[in-house]
Amino acid sequence: MSSLTPAESEYVTLESSDGFQFVIHREVAMLSGTVKNMLSSPGHFTESTEGVIQFRDIKAIILEKVCKYWYYKARHLNSVTEIPHFEIEPEYALETLMAADFLDT
Amino acid sequence: MSRRSRSNAGTTYVNNVRGPTSALTSFLNERGIRRANPAPAPAPVTTPPEEDIELEEDASNSQEEAASSSSSTPAPATSLSRPTRTARLTRGRTLPTPSASTSRSNDGDGVDDGSDSDDDSDDDSDSDNKNLIPIVVSASTARAARATRSRASAAASSSSSNTVASSSIASSSTAKAKAKAAAASKKRPRKKDASDDSNDEDFHDITGHISRSSFSHKGRLPQGSNKIVFCSRCRARFTLKAGTTPAVDEDDGGLLCPTCAGTGSPGPTKGTLPKAKPVKRARRKAQKAEIECQIPSLQDLCIQKIANSIEDVEAFGDISAVSLDKICKIICRNRSLNADTLQLFLDSRHSELIIYDCTDITAVGLQNIAQFCPNLRSLKLKLCGRITNEVMDYYIEHLTKLTSLTLYGPILIIEPTYIKLFETIGERFEKFELKGSSRFSLKATKTLCDNCPNITHLRLADCNLMDDEWLEPIAGLTKLKSLRIRNPEPDKLTTSAVVKLIQAVGSGLEELELKGCDGLTDEVLVNAIRPSCVRVERLNLSGCEELTTEGVETLFKDWTVNPGLTYLNLENCVMLKDEALIAATEHSGATLEDLNMSGMDEITKDALQTLTRCVNLVDLNVSWCRAVDDDIMEQLVEAAPRLAKVTVWGDHRLTECCTSRIGLKIIGREGDYVDLRFI
Repeated sequence: MSSLTPAESEYVTLESSDGFQFVIHREVAMLSGTVKNMLSSPGHFTESTEGVIQFRDIKAIILEKVCKYWYYKARHLNSVTEIPHFEIEPEYALETLMAADFLDT
Repeated sequence: MSRRSRSNAGTTYVNNVRGPTSALTSFLNERGIRRANPAPAPAPVTTPPEEDIELEEDASNSQEEAASSSSSTPAPATSLSRPTRTARLTRGRTLPTPSASTSRSNDGDGVDDGSDSDDDSDDDSDSDNKNLIPIVVSASTARAARATRSRASAAASSSSSNTVASSSIASSSTAKAKAKAAAASKKRPRKKDASDDSNDEDFHDITGHISRSSFSHKGRLPQGSNKIVFCSRCRARFTLKAGTTPAVDEDDGGLLCPTCAGTGSPGPTKGTLPKAKPVKRARRKAQKAEIECQIPSLQDLCIQKIANSIEDVEAFGDISAVSLDKICKIICRNRSLNADTLQLFLDSRHSELIIYDCTDITAVGLQNIAQFCPNLRSLKLKLCGRITNEVMDYYIEHLTKLTSLTLYGPILIIEPTYIKLFETIGERFEKFELKGSSRFSLKATKTLCDNCPNITHLRLADCNLMDDEWLEPIAGLTKLKSLRIRNPEPDKLTTSAVVKLIQAVGSGLEELELKGCDGLTDEVLVNAIRPSCVRVERLNLSGCEELTTEGVETLFKDWTVNPGLTYLNLENCVMLKDEALIAATEHSGATLEDLNMSGMDEITKDALQTLTRCVNLVDLNVSWCRAVDDDIMEQLVEAAPRLAKVTVWGDHRLTECCTSRIGLKIIGREGDYVDLRFI
C-alpha cells in the first residue's frame, strides 16, 4: 500500500474550502471532467503528483454531495433496472449547481 | 356490410388523404383504431413449411388461451360478449378447413408472411384503390375498447358474423367448432375460385375481398420478410426473422423473445399467464428505464430543484450562462416566470437573453429588461403578446448594442414601430426573427431591407400579410446566410417569386427553410435550389406537398456543387417515393446528421436500407414510414454509431424488442404506449 506513489494510488483526496478531506476512488472522481483534467494533464502539477486536489470555492457540505453523486453515477452507469432518484436538498441546490458547473459534472 | 364500408374508408385514406394528419386518421387514432399490418391472404397454392406452421401455432397459443377459454361457449354468445378480442383474433388466426386437420394461421400480428399471394403482387402495379386495410383494435383505454367494441359487434352482425364467431371458436380446435366453421363456409357465397383453399376464403370474407386489394404493404417489404410474433413469457412482440429459429420456452413450448431467451431462467416472469399482469408491468418499467437510460447530470438535477423552488431564490449568483438558460426554460414551461422571477435573469453583464414565455410579464417587466441589461446584443422574446409599442420604443432607445432581435407573437406592435426600429438600428442589425405578426407589412419589409444591409439571418414565420411582393426587397439582402420563410398564407407565395428570390440570394445561404409553403412546385428545387444553393447545409422543405419524387431526385442527383447537407427535413412531403430518398442519401449520406422524413408513407424497405449510408446520423425521424421494422432499426444502429434519437411514431412494425443501445432514445414506439393486453 505504502509502496504506491500517489499518482498510482486508486484513491484521490479532495479537500474542501473549510478543510475537510474526502478520500474517494480515483476512477469515480474521474467522472468529473475538471478533476479528470487535473489528474491526467501532462506535466507535474501538484494535483497529479500528490493526488490531492483543493477546492477553495466549494464547502464541505457541497463537496460531500458531489462525491455522493459521483458514486451514485458510477453505480448506476450501466444499470438496466430502474435508477433511484438522487435527492438534493433545495437549500443547497444553487451552491451544488455552481460546484457542478465548475466540476463539469 | 359494415365491414365492406369500413374497408372502403380505409381505401379513401390511402388514396385521397395526403399525410398522416388527416381528419380520418386522427379520428381513427383517437379511437384507438389503427390500420392493421397488412396480412394479405396466404397464397392459395403455397403451403408453408411444416415447421412454420408449428411455430405460428405456438405463437398464437399463448394468445389464444385467454380468448379460447372464454370461447368454449357456443359461438354467438362469444362473438357478442367479447367481440373486440374475437374479431381481432380471427384476423390473425387460422380458420380450420373441413378437410384439413392442421389449422393454418397468419402470424399473430398480421405481418406479411413469405407466402404472399401472386394475384396480390400483380394488382400492386396497377392501382391503389382496391386495397384493403383491415382495422385492428388496439385500445389502450377501457373507453376506447368500448367504443371499438360496438363497432366490432356491428361488424360481427353483418353477413360475416357467422364466420367470425365460428372461426374464433375454431381456434380452440374443438371438433364442434370445426363443424360450425365448415357450415359457415358452406353458407357463404363463393367469391373465389373453387380451387381456393377454404382457409383463404374464410379470411377473405371476414376482412372483405382481400384478393382485390392492391395497396399492399407487401410492396414495401421484400419477399420472405420477417414476421412479428408474441413472446410466450412476457407477451411482448418481437420480430421473428425469416430463416432463423427462435428460442422456445421449455415449459409450454411457446416462442421466446430475445430478452426472455437471453435470461435463460424464467426470471421475474416466473409463472404462467394468470400472472401475466405484473410481468408486463415490470417489463414496461424496464423499457422506460431503457429509454431514459442516461443518468442526468448533477447540473440538471440541481437545475430541476432550483426551478421547482424558484420563488424562494433571491439571486442566482455565479452560475454559468448555460445553466441560467436551462432554468429559464424550465420555469417558463412551468409558467412561473413573472415580473418578480424575471429579475433573477437580468444582469448588466448579460449580452444575451432568451425569455421563452413572456405571457405573465407585464409591459413594465419587459421594459425592465432594457433597463437592467443595457448591454444586450441579442434578445429573444417568445410569446411576447404583451409587448407594447412604448416598450419597443424604449428598447430602440436604450439597447444600443442590439444586433439580433427575435419576437414571437408581438401582436401589439404596429408598422411605424418596426420602421423606427429598423431605421435606428440600421447597419448594426444582423438577425431578425419574427413569428406570428399580422401587422408586419410590405413597407416594414422594405425599410428593413433598405436600412439593414448586413442582415445575415432572416426568419419570417406566420406573417399573414406576406406575399410575393415581399420577396423582391428580400432578394436585395446579399449577405443572407439563413433564410426561413415559414407558413405563409396559402397561395400568397408563388413558385416563380420564390425561384427568383433563391436565385438572387441562394449562393450565400447556409440554411434555407420553406416550411409550409405548400404551393411550391418542383421548379424551386430544379431551377433555384440546385443551381444556386451551393453552400446550403440545412434544408427544410417540410410541408411542401407539391414536391414530387422526380423533382427531389433531380435536385440530389449529381449535385456535386453542394458538398452535402447536414440537415434535411422532408416532413409531410407525402408524394415522395423511394427514388427521392435514395437520391438524397446518395448525395448527402456521409454528411447528414439530422433527417426528418416523417409522413413519407410511400417509402419502402428498399429505400430505408439506404439510410445506412448516413453514418453520421444523430437524429432521425421516421414516423409514419410504415415499412420501418426491427430489421431496419438493427441496421441503422449498426451503421450510425452517433445515432442518439430516433422517432418512430406510427411505425407499427417496430416491436418492443428492436435493437437499441445505451444512449439511443427511441421515441414513439408503439409497444411502449399501447397496453399489450388489448392487442
